[in-house]
Amino acid sequence: MKVAYFSPLPPERTGVADYSALLVPALETKVDLTVVRRGSRRAPRGTDVALYHVGNNPDAHAWIVDALRRRPGVVVLHDFVLHHLVAGMTVGRRDGHGYLDAMEHEHGVVGRLLAHGVLDKRIAPLWESRPADFPLPWFVLEHATGVIVHSTTVRDGARAAGYEGPVSLVPHPAWPVPRVAPERVAEGLVVGCFGVVNASKRIPELLEAFAPLRQEHPDATLLLVGPTAPAFDLERRLQRLGLPESGLVREEWVDEVRLWRLLAGVDVCVNLRHPTMGETSGSVIRALSLGKPLVVSDVGWFSELPDAVALKVPVDEEESDVLAAALELLASREDVREAMGRSGAELARREHDLERVAERYAAALEEAAGGDAVNEAVLRDVSKAAADVGISPAGAEAGEIARRLAEVELGR
Amino acid sequence: MRIAVLRPQVPFAWGGTEIFTDRLVSELRGRGHEADLVTVPFKWYPGTQVLTQSFLWRLLDLEEADGARVDLVVATKFPSYLARHPNKRVWLVHQFRQAYELDGTELGQFGDSAEERALRRKVQALDRIALGEATKLFATSRNVADRLERSTGLEAEVLPHPPQGLDYRCDAYGEFVLSVNRLDRAKRIDLLLEAAALDPSLEVVVAGEGPDRERLESLARERGLDGRARFAGRVSPEELAALYGQCLAVYYAPVDEDFGMVPFEAFLAEKPVLTTSDAGGPLEIVSDRRTGLVVAPEASELARAAGWLRAHRDEAASLGRAGKAIAAEVTWDRALERLLG
Repeated sequence: MKVAYFSPLPPERTGVADYSALLVPALETKVDLTVVRRGSRRAPRGTDVALYHVGNNPDAHAWIVDALRRRPGVVVLHDFVLHHLVAGMTVGRRDGHGYLDAMEHEHGVVGRLLAHGVLDKRIAPLWESRPADFPLPWFVLEHATGVIVHSTTVRDGARAAGYEGPVSLVPHPAWPVPRVAPERVAEGLVVGCFGVVNASKRIPELLEAFAPLRQEHPDATLLLVGPTAPAFDLERRLQRLGLPESGLVREEWVDEVRLWRLLAGVDVCVNLRHPTMGETSGSVIRALSLGKPLVVSDVGWFSELPDAVALKVPVDEEESDVLAAALELLASREDVREAMGRSGAELARREHDLERVAERYAAALEEAAGGDAVNEAVLRDVSKAAADVGISPAGAEAGEIARRLAEVELGR
Repeated sequence: MRIAVLRPQVPFAWGGTEIFTDRLVSELRGRGHEADLVTVPFKWYPGTQVLTQSFLWRLLDLEEADGARVDLVVATKFPSYLARHPNKRVWLVHQFRQAYELDGTELGQFGDSAEERALRRKVQALDRIALGEATKLFATSRNVADRLERSTGLEAEVLPHPPQGLDYRCDAYGEFVLSVNRLDRAKRIDLLLEAAALDPSLEVVVAGEGPDRERLESLARERGLDGRARFAGRVSPEELAALYGQCLAVYYAPVDEDFGMVPFEAFLAEKPVLTTSDAGGPLEIVSDRRTGLVVAPEASELARAAGWLRAHRDEAASLGRAGKAIAAEVTWDRALERLLG
């Protein structure tokens, strides 16, 4: 079966590009895969089904959605909140009407009026101020013949948005753990946080929680790895909290090998966020593979992690206090850290195994390409057999047969 | 308890599952249960018949029979476990292997078209749903349990079943190697014939019937095995016990077999089992130089192994006796205690 694969790929620096670099070699062993060149708007001739990786970043994904609109196919929904993507593909292309229509389609007249407000610069851009309230997934879902998601959160969101096609839940694949020497950045406990340093990664709350931890454990160190967002003043926050320089180690962008080394060298991995766009986290998957205990926000996909592998911090007024308590627990209980780490490594091996993930992808693609024909054939045969013995389509018996078919997902 | 044992039936075919399920019913009755066998014909081709024929099981009402409640059902192999019941236990003999590990091989069924690929996925989806409904899930071997876990994520307890009841005995370590199996390609009986062609002193007896018989007989003629390869066809229980009793060893080397009763039967007759390193389930009880010989799946290796057994009959006897000790552990009392517990 020929599959056209649309995705960002390295050297683009996006999580989806890294994801595809991992997935493509495994998927190639199961289907006849053609990776489509960036910017192409058509699938190659003879394609049975096209696979489109869609995330919220218009720079990385707008060309893919353009291709999707030309030819419907299976969509991998890496984010559920797509407002930024939609804005980029409408407002960003001087297509104000497109933005108005997208907002009206999903949020009615109120949505259209709000969109007018944005276009007229009367209110702040919604993709910056309230994207989760106006996720706009239908912009993409209306063209999807099937959807692949990484979490029940996104699956439920797609269903709530009215999508009725097949939805496959496929876990994020885990990278093979490279043989690297752990890089310890300090002697004492090291708490690592990997990703962009900004407010939505809850860095202010993490700093607030780390300050009391540092008082109890003076040799504890916070390792922040990732670029600082332009509007985020890390220095000022550190000064205000009185965190000494020795308590913090900063690394901006690091390459893949260094990332693994630093991850391998931490004792606890913190990965917080709010708001969530429905995304998964490659850093969390890597940390699980390495057997690191996790502290995450109790939102979206992160909430779905088993309690045995992650302490979950609700996003509310007590967030910093709960976070501090979680860090204190892990700092003082090596046995808890080890037990969580073991559970995490087992979860990565069991649920996020690359071969298994690729197999689920192949299943979703094959069902999308040929499932309708199979369903029609089954319905035709069962209906004919029922009609042959005088069962009327409107009768109770036919209803019972339909229920039994639905139970085992035949005929749809 | 009232217990229904569920078995798909391929008309005119008879094999290990039939023997197993008949015996299961008999053993349940012997312990005071009201047990009966429920069978539905199964044809898995062409096209979507594999789904529509399977669906017949879903339409059955097995919660009651003749006004009395059925306490539990024991499903065995695809597609019998599609049946609905609040206490559905599955003692899995095998899934529909053409949709899994046989796909893409000469033993596979589904082609490369989009519809055929989707059809295969539908079979897999049926398994996930129907097996996921089981209140208890057992597999006849580790091999079957591992396949299930890989394909559906479902975990099954390994529960081997005892072999059929025969008058097992060891009369001698005679001249011939015995094959007991259905005659189809997956059972790889041609490998034994090729081994006999390489060693003019090797005699074989092939017991069993199946669609591959004509090809195998033709192969035997081409290789000049007249007189050294005897096709015994379907034999009676008495004849089979006699063959087990007199053979030198038992050959059993299907490709990635689920498990099979034959190694247990051979062991109860104190005979070593000759198998190959890719045979799958049999390797769970056949250990090289402990209960049999495990060789590479090549005729020359097999011929050499059979020759070694002929030249070392005392060792062959001790391998067989070691196997008997393993087989003696697998009893109906123990199996049913777990199945019904």
